Amino acid sequence: MFDLVRSNRRMMQVILALIILPFAFWGVESYVRNVGAENDAAVVGGSKISPQEFQAALRDQQEKMRPMLGAGADPAALDSREVREAVLESLVNQRLLALHAVKTHMTVSDAHLVDYIRSVPGLQENGQFSKERYEALVANQGMSKEMFEARLRQDLAVQEMVAPIAGAGLGSASATVWVAAQLQERTIAEAQIKPEQFTGEVKLPADAARTYYDGHQKEFETREQVKAEFVVLSQAVLSEQVAVSDDEVKARYQAQQDRYTRNEERRASHILVLAAKGAPDAEKAAAKAKAEDILAQVRKAPGDFAKLAQQHSQDPGSAKQGGDLQWFPRDGRMVKPFEDAVFGLKENQISDLVVTDYGFHIIRVTGIRPGGTRPLEQVKAEIAAELKGQAAAKKYAESADALTNTVYEQSDSLKPAADKLKLAIRQSEWLPRGGTLPPPFNHPKLQSALFSDDVLKNKRNTEAVEVSPNTLVAARVVEHRPGALRPFEEVRADIERKLARDEAAKLAAAKGRDLLARLEKGEGTELRWGETRKVTRVQAPMLAPEAVKAIFSAPAGKLPAYVGTALPSGAFGLYRVSAVAEAGAPAQTAANAMRQQYARTAAEEEFNGWLAGLRERYGVKVNKAVLDAKDR
Amino acid sequence: MAVYDLEEQEQLDEIKTWWKQYGNLITWIVTAVAVALAGWQGWNWWQRNQAAQAASLYGALQVATMKGDFKQVRDAAGELIEKYPGTSYAGLAALMAAKVQAETGDAKNAKAQLGWAAEKADDPGVRDLARLRLATLLADEKAFDEALKQLAAEPSSHFAARFQELRGDILLGQGKAAEARTAYENAIARHDGARQGDALRGKAYRDILQVKLETAIAGGDGK
Repeated sequence: MFDLVRSNRRMMQVILALIILPFAFWGVESYVRNVGAENDAAVVGGSKISPQEFQAALRDQQEKMRPMLGAGADPAALDSREVREAVLESLVNQRLLALHAVKTHMTVSDAHLVDYIRSVPGLQENGQFSKERYEALVANQGMSKEMFEARLRQDLAVQEMVAPIAGAGLGSASATVWVAAQLQERTIAEAQIKPEQFTGEVKLPADAARTYYDGHQKEFETREQVKAEFVVLSQAVLSEQVAVSDDEVKARYQAQQDRYTRNEERRASHILVLAAKGAPDAEKAAAKAKAEDILAQVRKAPGDFAKLAQQHSQDPGSAKQGGDLQWFPRDGRMVKPFEDAVFGLKENQISDLVVTDYGFHIIRVTGIRPGGTRPLEQVKAEIAAELKGQAAAKKYAESADALTNTVYEQSDSLKPAADKLKLAIRQSEWLPRGGTLPPPFNHPKLQSALFSDDVLKNKRNTEAVEVSPNTLVAARVVEHRPGALRPFEEVRADIERKLARDEAAKLAAAKGRDLLARLEKGEGTELRWGETRKVTRVQAPMLAPEAVKAIFSAPAGKLPAYVGTALPSGAFGLYRVSAVAEAGAPAQTAANAMRQQYARTAAEEEFNGWLAGLRERYGVKVNKAVLDAKDR
Repeated sequence: MAVYDLEEQEQLDEIKTWWKQYGNLITWIVTAVAVALAGWQGWNWWQRNQAAQAASLYGALQVATMKGDFKQVRDAAGELIEKYPGTSYAGLAALMAAKVQAETGDAKNAKAQLGWAAEKADDPGVRDLARLRLATLLADEKAFDEALKQLAAEPSSHFAARFQELRGDILLGQGKAAEARTAYENAIARHDGARQGDALRGKAYRDILQVKLETAIAGGDGK
């Protein structure tokens, strides 16, 4: 065999070269690629976004949204299809930009990267770049310096690529047209033709209601509904089942005596004259003399203790508070001689000079909280509740499996499970399919289980669903009302009212159009116009959007101009435009703000257009499955 | 040398004849593939290298933009476009420089930058955007015909609404309300087409188009 190799060296070389070539050009990767799973969240031009990445981004987004929605928010709102779509969309866009930067060889020079890092304010100390802070930041992100810099380099490259594209706002012609339109002021008067005037004239054919009913059956369908019975297993339910004896409470009380014992605490103020331990004797003597002098003053006027402390005390922390040191127990946090003095005094008593390593203290005790053990009677309820909670938690852990198994194994009734675990079987109200349901049926998993074929048709139990932490619910359908068409007689009156209203509105509109035609011809009408007033597009109180649209589409060339439109209320609105004025100088500030608004909107439109172009160029495949909220 | 048994000897001979017949061809093919691959890698390397050099100029351009150093902006953008016209940076630099120049009243240079990018930038999106911005500058100067000429060629569908909008603005400026109306109607149709099924996205922009359409209607017969 080896001889074969040796005698055909040239051929072997060629074969070897063939094997080596892919390594040389594409690395080992070319042999191990295509291992990835098929369930990626999205594929952007060959670059995959994994489900894990998607989940992480979704969690981030949910964390950001939670405080905005407030504490009582429905958790389902955080996990809706819209949220998921938005998160995936933004991941895809990020990936698209990064991919484009790589494919077009966009990068950031080392010098630029260094400049950027040095300029981040958070990384500076006293205006100077701090290497320590930088390293701490990098470590904090759980990355190596190389990874961090590569990531940053990519982000910067994308930023710099995007800046000139998203930075429209060049030129003013387009903005001006819009801003002028927004601020244009039109002087108008309104006259409404109300449908109520025509109710008397409405004549409906006898079978009109019936015809409408037959043609719009969807509107008269009631939803499918069920009544369910259900059991709830939770710690709260279980804690009512467990009994705690007095002996157990007593045993816990004795075992954890120190939890219910509090040490004596005292509050004291002091005046300190500094005299360090190693200071020369002369200095010490001077300090002592000064302290004695202060002591004499304190004794003379004990009420001035706080003032004297502020003046003389050399303990900077407490001097401002009049020497006050707050409450403290006898646990060694104060130096020994000081502590002994404090706990040897009576309330409001003033000490003699106390010598510590700091110097000379004059101490006054300002409060005493005696220590002691709270009697059993006082803490009994507290301990009992705690013991019950613990027992219930333990019992829950044992019962959860039992419930899950029993409702599954004996799936034709909830009774075995309820008996076994001593749970009450509760009844629900009528629950409409696809409607907003009361708890616990508002949990999506329980809701869909309740209306599944197995439960609805085969009358089985649902599985036990964890509707909130440590709360399991199992349910079964006891009564079922299929969706039905409400009988004609029941809805007839409603339909007739609606048809009459619609008909009256039609008559009002016809009358309105007739009047409008006469107005345009310059003929007189009996119309009573409302007050004449000035409106702009952005400030048009009491006008429906339809009316605003009509008013500002009225030709400005020949005034007065008349326009009319049907309004959502059923009335027909007629408008007389008697003057058109462009915005004056006072509106200048508003105009500037609007220009910026226009620039932003146009820039967004252009950027989105450019992104859509990239999308087309590289190809984006989205896995629709990840958009559906699954088990939570 | 070892002695082969007959069968092995036969096999060897077969392989040798086969090699004699095809060996040359295979060697050539392998060499050609290797050279092509090396060339491809080399081309990539060269592009990366060009991009890296362009990147540092682009960085300088950004710094100059932030500082408001207009001479430096012009020089950096000019050098970038001249030396590295094949890189993506060239088009972006033209857009960036044009914006600074337009804002400081140097419309002449701004138009030159945009004109270059509209023709030569490597990214089709950048080419369209440059054309749109060039037309905006021309419209500001009331050079309406030239502006319309810039907008004449159909852009990629993603920018069609913006192009039609600007056409409408220009026509309105020329007093051709009826034609402007058609342009705005087209803009709205193109915008709706591009945002199919997503009512919320781009709504602010659609509202702007709607207001402009109403203005064009009011400038005409009001029907």
